[in-house]
Amino acid sequence: MAAPSYGLIATFDTAPEIYHAAAQVRDAGYKNWDVISPCPLHGLDAAMGLKRSIVPRISLAGGITGFCTGMSLIWWTGAYDYKLTVGGKPLFSPMFAFPVSYELTILFTAFATIIGMFIVNGLPRHHHPVLKYDQIKRGLDDRFFIVIEARDPRFNLANTSALLAKLGGTGIKELEA
Amino acid sequence: MSTHAATVPAALPTAASTAATAGKALTVGLIGLAATLLAALFAPEKHGVALSYLVGVSYWTAIAIGMLLMILIHHITDASWSVVIRRQWEHGLAAFKWLFVLFLPLLILAWAVPGFVWPWMDKTHVLHGHGTVGTDILYLKKEGFLNIYTFTIMTLVFFGSWVWLSARLRRASFTQDTDGNAAWTFKNRVTSAMGLPIAALTLTFAAIYWIKSLEYHWFSTMYGVWFFANCARGALCCGVLIMVWLLHRGDYKGILNTNHFHSIGMLMLAFTVFWAYVTFSQYFLIWNANVPEETFWYNLRELNHDGTTNQWWYVGLVILFGHFVIPFCALLSYRFKVTPHIIRRIAYWVLTIILIDICYNVLPALKDEHGDSLPFLSINLLWVLTSVIGVGGICIWAYLRSFPTTKLIPIRDPRIGECLTHHE
Repeated sequence: MAAPSYGLIATFDTAPEIYHAAAQVRDAGYKNWDVISPCPLHGLDAAMGLKRSIVPRISLAGGITGFCTGMSLIWWTGAYDYKLTVGGKPLFSPMFAFPVSYELTILFTAFATIIGMFIVNGLPRHHHPVLKYDQIKRGLDDRFFIVIEARDPRFNLANTSALLAKLGGTGIKELEA
Repeated sequence: MSTHAATVPAALPTAASTAATAGKALTVGLIGLAATLLAALFAPEKHGVALSYLVGVSYWTAIAIGMLLMILIHHITDASWSVVIRRQWEHGLAAFKWLFVLFLPLLILAWAVPGFVWPWMDKTHVLHGHGTVGTDILYLKKEGFLNIYTFTIMTLVFFGSWVWLSARLRRASFTQDTDGNAAWTFKNRVTSAMGLPIAALTLTFAAIYWIKSLEYHWFSTMYGVWFFANCARGALCCGVLIMVWLLHRGDYKGILNTNHFHSIGMLMLAFTVFWAYVTFSQYFLIWNANVPEETFWYNLRELNHDGTTNQWWYVGLVILFGHFVIPFCALLSYRFKVTPHIIRRIAYWVLTIILIDICYNVLPALKDEHGDSLPFLSINLLWVLTSVIGVGGICIWAYLRSFPTTKLIPIRDPRIGECLTHHE
């Protein structure tokens, strides 16, 4: 190999083919690989062995942060930093701190979800090595691709190429990094 | 998800017979009702029996209203995922006419002994500390709304609307099984468009007349919404229980997939938050305004006249944590929502707390000579139990009796294909 390559790409013609090929690549133990499809394929997540996203956990962390921020904000301003009696109520009560905490829970959850999603999916991205492949536009139309990256520990140009061919992939090509 | 329904079974048989189970439910129901009747005849504290029976009827009526709402919402939003479970809710609606029959004793009691259950029906009823109902300005101002004639007419209107809407929805859906005409779906959409405001108004007024008017001095604009939230949660929980039951029995094998459980679980979570929102708002606004006409309702549920904490305060905490915090945290988990035996446990839990919530709203109307609420832990809980089992047995019998009369799922619903392959 002269220049380091990004990986291998193989073309598949139908959704069932790519679905079964993905399951085989998963079972072969590859980790750094992806499927390119012009449409959502239900059940492909499991065929690729993808776990559920961690975004909900990030959302939960955001929500808890928001709730605590609201509670401590009301306590700190009204009962600690500048003690102020309003309407004969106690200096601090979770009762009147609740609406604020609730709003901040939602706000911080929303922020955490959006930011978490962008961190996890790696967007926005200006370029991707597969874009150099001249046939990649078919991936927006009527073809399916599997891309196995060279950085995968199991990647081996000859073996991986043979695997993709065995799974029915055509036009197997090495991608420039 | 890898859990798509395999394929639509070629020939779906009519749902397997449930006659034996239905017979058992009827027997249990009749035993429960008989026990309640015996208590009403022979228990020393008959007022408690009457209110316990009101709890039992309100509880199951709430669940039936919830099922009606779920079907109405299903049609108005043209939902696809809930087509399969909608059929079970439709069977659940068969309970309405029996719930009306079971409400009749309370209605007859209201005429025979005015003021026994709802104190404002008796103008000579002595209020604690000041005069009688007939001389109470707060009653006189509300007399046009709170009198036994409007109460009776409204109760008939409530059950009339629910039975009528149920009959329309059921007939259209069941007939579609045989002729496959999509017009039935459009017909149900029209029924839903008019049914939703009708259901919203009737359930609100039912909550006000049956439960809230036990303390007619009190004001809360949140009351109908509180009742609505419990209706919806009850129906969703029953939906889950039916789904798991039919899955384990084998009927729903290849019909339900993980995503159906996920979807109904998400609705359960949403309504948990909704319930908490309205219940907290009601408490918070009253707490913040601190007006005696409103705070007395919560004082009855927290303190005795001498300032000591009563049992209802703890019941309130059980509701706060059991009806919101615990189900909320549990339902956040994807795994809990999609694992049938876990979501079933959550459903049982929530159904139990809904009952406690209704007890919390009804039973403190029972007072001692100081005007303090009678404690939660009392013999009345036994009558609540016999009433809930009695009315519940009849409702489950009505459901199981309707169950084998149609196909297991609406096989010719236009959205059935989408439902069977429901995905995220």
